[in-house]
Amino acid sequence: MSLEVAVFSLLALVSVLGALGVVLARNPVHSAIGLVLSFLNVAAIYLVARAEFLAVVQVIVYAGAIIVLVVFVTMLVHPDDLPEFHGRRSLRLVTGLVLGAALLAEVAAAVLARGVRGAPGPWTDEVVAAVGGNTRALGQVLYVDYTLGIQLTALLLLAATIAAIALARPEAISDRVAAARRVLTISLAHPRGLDQPELPLALPGTQDGRVKAAGGGRPIVLARSADEFTEQPAWGEWRGR
Amino acid sequence: MSELSATHFLLLSAALFIIGMVGVLTRRNVLVIFMCIELMLNAVNVSLIGFAWELHQLTGQVFALFVIAIAAAEAVVGLGIVMALTRRTDTVDIDELRQLRE
Amino acid sequence: MDWQRLIVSYLAGFVLLTVLLGLMAYMTWFERRVLARMQHRVGPNRTGPFGLLQPIADGIKLLAKEDIVPANADRLVFLVAPLLSFALAPLGAAVIPFGDTLQLFGIEIPLLVADINVAVLYVLALGSVGVYGIILGGYASGNRYSLLGALRSTAQVISYELVLGLSLVGVFILSGSLSLQDILREQQRMLVLGPLTLPNWYILSQPLAFALFLIAAVAETNRAPFDLPEAETELVAGYLTEYSGFRFSFYFLAEYINMIVVSLLAATLFLGGIDGPFADGVWWLALKALFFLFFYVWLRATLPRFRYDQLMGLAWKVLLPLALLNIGLTGLVRLWGIGAL
Repeated sequence: MSLEVAVFSLLALVSVLGALGVVLARNPVHSAIGLVLSFLNVAAIYLVARAEFLAVVQVIVYAGAIIVLVVFVTMLVHPDDLPEFHGRRSLRLVTGLVLGAALLAEVAAAVLARGVRGAPGPWTDEVVAAVGGNTRALGQVLYVDYTLGIQLTALLLLAATIAAIALARPEAISDRVAAARRVLTISLAHPRGLDQPELPLALPGTQDGRVKAAGGGRPIVLARSADEFTEQPAWGEWRGR
Repeated sequence: MSELSATHFLLLSAALFIIGMVGVLTRRNVLVIFMCIELMLNAVNVSLIGFAWELHQLTGQVFALFVIAIAAAEAVVGLGIVMALTRRTDTVDIDELRQLRE
Repeated sequence: MDWQRLIVSYLAGFVLLTVLLGLMAYMTWFERRVLARMQHRVGPNRTGPFGLLQPIADGIKLLAKEDIVPANADRLVFLVAPLLSFALAPLGAAVIPFGDTLQLFGIEIPLLVADINVAVLYVLALGSVGVYGIILGGYASGNRYSLLGALRSTAQVISYELVLGLSLVGVFILSGSLSLQDILREQQRMLVLGPLTLPNWYILSQPLAFALFLIAAVAETNRAPFDLPEAETELVAGYLTEYSGFRFSFYFLAEYINMIVVSLLAATLFLGGIDGPFADGVWWLALKALFFLFFYVWLRATLPRFRYDQLMGLAWKVLLPLALLNIGLTGLVRLWGIGAL
């Protein structure tokens, strides 16, 4: 058992424990911590496999940016974390783990039954060291053979950035006001009785030979207090439990 | 198995992937499901690096790099969607997010 | 497996850690004295001559305080978060070259704990993971204001981390390597600018990158004028609110160690590190790092605090485009072969 295998086994064990922590933890923040642990150990495994650049990229991008983003969203969306299992692990989790273990046994059997087939490539350790290190060698391969991939990835990241900005834009005040205006509220407790200063209603009675519906085609809601109509959802906005 | 070979990497990759898959299928919190998806992507990366190690190729590392970049893009967009959705519906329980069903 | 080198590395790391911890304690003294002098007062001068025993007094005071854990807190994470910050802080100094090899007992000891060929990316990676100390600390306090302070601080750190990384890409283009040893070697060559022959320090060939690095470094370490998340007048103390006694001291000292490591890094990347006029030596590095530390304290004494939206606007709307511009210009310069490259 060489030193590399021993170190790899230790790191792999901790990584798998971290992953189990993700699935079994009650609290999403604890899941995130387990995930960070798993990713850091995987980065260390990349170091054992002499992929230094990828190891630091894994730490910077995966552990240091993506999971931070997930933790951020966890805090912003649900700061009071509700424990999901309410005291005991659900049956489906146990079933999932048992079936997962069975699947793992099958895959392990398949993997151990045969080795890897493929022509060995040119990048042995000596060649990589001669070029000037893993980063240089990777740069040579990446920018010569995979230029198109890089350009496309850059486009993809640009698209993702634009999407993020579009999705995270706060609602403009004017949108809220317009949404509120789509519902006419008559408050029995409001001093003015209506939320809008001028009366957009047509007075009951005939106009042009037809009786116009009160409210001008918009729904009329009775509110119990002056504050209630400021929280009206816009018509069509999903609000319910 | 006294030398580090691709088999070790593949076993680790399988373990991480299956744990991630179990998480996606059994957990109800949207964010934990998202984290399990990231775990699965990472498992694939491990197997790619394993192949790069055994076959002395750098292609595996290049692929893994692209996977990380794409995972970042997907995380950003996915979390944006999750945030917008949970802001509207005020829940993170995936069983409650069923507008497309009804 | 070169066991001898491994053991030498471990011992060097141990020595470095001890030196860093001592420096960190006296950095607090240095800051208080210099800040006081700039504000026309004296600073600590009662505990020992020139107040030199002040850090020890502070340490005893903080250790003797009661350890309070809020009832609402997530206990395990509350305990671990400051440790995470404090443990990650000195790791950045492991890649800084302190000199050439030293001959002791017939063994060659390189004055560098670890010579990795992605050294600068390693330091950036540490910064990325260091964010967790802040965000988990704020979350674990169980206090809404701590959480808010932590989120603000995290957003600030990750924005400025981006600027930090991009400002260094210019240095990578010019030196062709990510390893600090190689960057140092490049800076020991001579740069010919017309009639002048100067050492090829990157502050001369990358002035914009230097300015961006400095600003981003001050913001990364949460120091004035970018210290809104922990300002006393704002969110009580931000994510530090619920921490008392020695847990607070972990965060507080982690900040100082971060400052020291960043100063050492700036000295190595832009000012040539151990390079000096008469002889190369660690004292030149110490002098340059001391200058940066003084600069940190000077900024704190002089500038008013940035408002949070100004801070973020500065990072994304001003510094990031400038960093990208710097990369573009450096690439063009390298392509056209201007200067002694």
